[in-house]
Amino acid sequence: MIDEYLAVRVLVGARPDALPDDEPLALPAYRHYRLLQRIHQPGTGQLSGLLAESDQQAIRRPHPEVLQILDPRPLLDEAAAIGARYRSAGLLVGETLAAGLTYGHQLWFGTARNVGTRLAEIADDLRIDVHVAGPA
Amino acid sequence: MEPVTIGEELLEERRRRRRAGDPRITPEGRALLLRMTTGDLMDDFQAALDADLAADPALSGHDTDDDT
Repeated sequence: MIDEYLAVRVLVGARPDALPDDEPLALPAYRHYRLLQRIHQPGTGQLSGLLAESDQQAIRRPHPEVLQILDPRPLLDEAAAIGARYRSAGLLVGETLAAGLTYGHQLWFGTARNVGTRLAEIADDLRIDVHVAGPA
Repeated sequence: MEPVTIGEELLEERRRRRRAGDPRITPEGRALLLRMTTGDLMDDFQAALDADLAADPALSGHDTDDDT
């Protein structure tokens, strides 16, 4: 389970060595949604004006052999339970933690800034390992 | 030298394809996306992600202690 930073690095072929390469990597759907907002929404950080159409297509519809987008539906009940139990998690954190609980108890982030205090606290409580594979 | 099985060959090919990334990414796109995720544009990228999250209460969540 990886975050937006690592998803982009995987797509461009700059996968950190620390990431296991025997298993397919997956991005939770709402984290994919955040990347898609960068393509579709106007404003600072908008990518549609900077990236070629083929680059955008690779982000919009990743090839499943390179990067999988998790179906959020089977995770929603767990995400809602986490939100209720920890009071405030939100869909992004709830879905990410539900995915971590369901798939391997490991979450990988491309920078510590993208982990978030709340997610780190709940992950620790749920015994989900949080790894950061930052820039070399 | 140990002979390589067909299964090992196939798995190695899959690994190679995964490591290569998506062939639709252009060299210019690759350079920009790397700056965003590992280089000088990381702050801008994170600020944009944070702004999107702050603008969407369903995604970011709220303290349910205040709910009635």
